[in-house]
Amino acid sequence: MAKMDRKWVVLCSAAVAAVYATGYFSTEAEATKTTLRQHPPINIQTNADNPSVAESKNQPKKSLYKNGTFTGMGENRRGSIEVAVTIQNDKITDVEISDFAMHYSESDVVGLPDEVLQNQNAQVSNVSGATYSTQAFQDAVQDALYQAQNS
Amino acid sequence: MTAKKWLKTPKGYVTFALIIYLLIASIGSKDIMGIKNAFVAVFVSVIVDILCRTVKKRKWSMPDSAIITGLIISLILSTTSSVGVITATAVMAILSKYLLVYKKKPIFNPAAIGLLLSVLFFHSGQSWWGAFGDLPAWTIAFLLMGGYAITNRVNKYPQIFAFFGTSFLLLLLIGYFNIGGETDALRPPFINATLFFGFFMLTDPPTSPGKDKDQVIFGILTAVAGTLIYGLFGGLTYLYIGLVIGNLYSFLKKRLASKASMSRSNVIKNRGLQTFR
Repeated sequence: MAKMDRKWVVLCSAAVAAVYATGYFSTEAEATKTTLRQHPPINIQTNADNPSVAESKNQPKKSLYKNGTFTGMGENRRGSIEVAVTIQNDKITDVEISDFAMHYSESDVVGLPDEVLQNQNAQVSNVSGATYSTQAFQDAVQDALYQAQNS
Repeated sequence: MTAKKWLKTPKGYVTFALIIYLLIASIGSKDIMGIKNAFVAVFVSVIVDILCRTVKKRKWSMPDSAIITGLIISLILSTTSSVGVITATAVMAILSKYLLVYKKKPIFNPAAIGLLLSVLFFHSGQSWWGAFGDLPAWTIAFLLMGGYAITNRVNKYPQIFAFFGTSFLLLLLIGYFNIGGETDALRPPFINATLFFGFFMLTDPPTSPGKDKDQVIFGILTAVAGTLIYGLFGGLTYLYIGLVIGNLYSFLKKRLASKASMSRSNVIKNRGLQTFR
């Protein structure tokens, strides 16, 4: 069979590149919006019972974290994970994956919230073959803990 | 065949490119695990290939296609994949080459089948790290250089232009009309996966058509099926499912052509008999 003429190869390559570039730039705004959505600028404490009052009345020693449920986000090139971490008296009492938007199966990281409860910190053991999901989860918990930190 | 001659064959080109990618990606990510995984995948693929050949009583030949399958698997599976998952993926890939056949040729791309089954059975993490998914965007240039060299060698330009053109056009429409809310596919690491897939898996000569017209239909079909799966369900299996559908088209086409030529030869035979009578 005859090989494609070099001129046609260049022409077709240029056409495919043009379609790609149009797609890339026309979805740029949407991609930026997604990134912004994944980095909420405000403190997302949801259930704290007036932490400043609770601190001064009940805890003579300054606690490390505020009480309440805090949302954290972890993301990488393979997607994002949002977690809700509940803290009571400096103890992590509940961790939930509130949004799983990775391009992998959620079942890979389903055991990680329990590990956080056990370890009482964001460090979890890496799930073999699910490094990106593990990383995103760990970053999300760390982000939530950062949100919960007393200044 | 001398090593120099072998390097000039399509399999030589692909093997050389994949080994270079393995080295670049390993150096770029400062992770030696990928090379270790490549040894495991290639070793298992070659052993299973030799066993299958022995069982099927086929002539001895160099297991270079098994080496390619092993390399592709190791470049796609995450570097943190367990030895068990890598072994199982390689075994499934090579078995498909000998079990799902038509006229002794594989119907489906072995690496694609192995990786697809690996996701379904083991939820294997597939990072496409060997397509430089975690490296800076300029490394895509390596994919394009190797990809064009192979496409030119196997004469599959109509197919890859049809595949990439249709994929990008559909992704543009999905993004423009905001269907499914997915904008990732045109960006790294997904674009790396699409390019690697198009250049190194789609162009596999035994599982893709040869004629220009069939190549175009094959490319469009694979792109449409894969992109629809991506738009509807997301995930990472969309490329493989697209290729499975493309491979099925190629298989049906060969089967129909074979049946047509058989009935033609029967007619000629019958005419010959009538003349003889």
